[in-house]
Amino acid sequence: MTSLLKASALTKHYGSTIALESVDFEVFEGITGLLGPNGAGKSTAIKLFLGLLKPTSGTAEVSGKNPYESIESRSLLGYMPEGDCLPTGITASEFLTHMAQVSGLPPAYARTRAADILRHVGLDEERYRSIGQYSSGMKQRVKLAQALVHDPVIVLLDEPTVGLDPGGREEMLELIRRTGREFGISIILSTHLMGDVESTCERIIVLDEGRVKEAGDVSMYTKETQNIFIDVDDKRSELLTALISRGIEATIEGSSIAVVLENEVQSDAIRDAIVEVDAQLRRMGPRRQQLADIFRDDRK
Amino acid sequence: MTESAGELFDLGYKRYEGPREGRMRARKAIFTNGVRTILGLGRSSSAKVLPIIFFVVVMAPAVVLALVASQASELDLPGHSDYYQIVSILLILFSAIIAPELLCPDRRTGVIGLYLVRPLTVTDYLAGRWLAFFSITLLLVYSGQVILLLGLTLSAESPGEYLQDNWLDVPRFLAAGFLIALFTTTLPLAISAFTTRKAYAAAFVIGIFIISSAVAGILTECEDHDRGAARGAGQCEPLTGDYAKWFGLIDVRGVTVHLSDLIFDVESTPEGSGRIAELHNIIPISTYVGMLGGLTFMLWWRYRRITV
Repeated sequence: MTSLLKASALTKHYGSTIALESVDFEVFEGITGLLGPNGAGKSTAIKLFLGLLKPTSGTAEVSGKNPYESIESRSLLGYMPEGDCLPTGITASEFLTHMAQVSGLPPAYARTRAADILRHVGLDEERYRSIGQYSSGMKQRVKLAQALVHDPVIVLLDEPTVGLDPGGREEMLELIRRTGREFGISIILSTHLMGDVESTCERIIVLDEGRVKEAGDVSMYTKETQNIFIDVDDKRSELLTALISRGIEATIEGSSIAVVLENEVQSDAIRDAIVEVDAQLRRMGPRRQQLADIFRDDRK
Repeated sequence: MTESAGELFDLGYKRYEGPREGRMRARKAIFTNGVRTILGLGRSSSAKVLPIIFFVVVMAPAVVLALVASQASELDLPGHSDYYQIVSILLILFSAIIAPELLCPDRRTGVIGLYLVRPLTVTDYLAGRWLAFFSITLLLVYSGQVILLLGLTLSAESPGEYLQDNWLDVPRFLAAGFLIALFTTTLPLAISAFTTRKAYAAAFVIGIFIISSAVAGILTECEDHDRGAARGAGQCEPLTGDYAKWFGLIDVRGVTVHLSDLIFDVESTPEGSGRIAELHNIIPISTYVGMLGGLTFMLWWRYRRITV
């Protein structure tokens, strides 16, 4: 599998501030999440791949080309920024046609592509309305559409669900999944929302303090564990005490009790503890690992 | 009964397999979009009102002069150089109001960030925008001159003879118009690079012309007892004495109009750019080149510092 993006000993310093320090990673086809807290170096990495910044040392390559030196290689990329980036006084159709031309498409092709992409992002009937009249969700779609209009090899999405209500957020994530799976355009999804990554991405790269903390398939980080969680309607603390008294390692985690299951015999002990305290059992099941655990483990 | 012909369309996503013209297409797109923005094309009808008004207002003096010339050809009517004196003020208004539209909204709305991640450099972007505004300004300036030339030619007793005697006016108005358009394009764009508010940019541009003209006027003004006939004859003694001619260079419009007068080989009026005429020609020419170079550098420098 050939890599679309490749960082080799990529380093970026802003004066004495280290944004990225000798980072190595590759991005392949599919949807990749770029995860990390604020200040982790996500935006700097994106800007280096977009050719907006010059690395202090190391290289950032897009399909084997250096985007800082090869302006033309930028036509392989699409970019959806986090902040506002849309004009207000023109229609989505006019704007997208223009952006397609700025990406190198001849005018006639640009018009067709603009119409096609607006249909794919669900703005077919709204395309002749001024962007200034659009809702937040519709504007996010236009932002995604402008990143796709020139049919890039890979699209870099920076916090695409920020500011959206739950319905709009789910629609945007579905659109991202379609873009990656149906359209065949690879995606880098930069976000601090782990739920977005878990539900959308195939692979993740976790940055923290300018270094790669983790990288691999999302399934590696969300597989079922030996641990189980127990949700009860009442008597949670009594149940916790009963479990501990039976030699079971149990802790309160959110609204649940998390139990480390060491052997099959302990399953019976859990059942007995629930019966003993007469707790109303709501749910019990194997606990999946979560991406948040990457950061949780770090804090321990 | 005929069988109905049905056709199936695949509305799924299709990869783009057409031509990609790279950076050159991007440059053309920035230019074309700039022209469309200036003219309000693809925008609401209110966006078209201002450009139309300006076209009418800038054309009006040429049309009036041409009409008058056709009615009374024996009158000593203002010619091509005088037309620039009149329209230079209108062009300043035009550039102050329209030019910020090309740069300010792109930075205010963040669209500039989308441009800079495409196969386009900051210089390409600025050159495209600059060229768009320069082209429209030049078109505006030349259109008026062509109308005036037609009016003067057709109103002459012998149009052929008129053209033969005055053919030099054509390269002159082309050259002078080029210089005027060059300046009225670069100054407002350079100023627009420093604010995201169109109104501030417009006010600042107009302010520069008014203030520079007023300051130059005060510093080159005749003393009270010299007013009147002496000033009319260009013999008055200015308050700043021998330095007045240098202070005349403060008037940015005056410098440009004076260069136009030099091209037309006419004497600049005693007030304003008239004082500049007392200097060796190399001085106002150098001032003009320096101003233009400085403004171009300001524009480029400001955009080099823009971060996305």
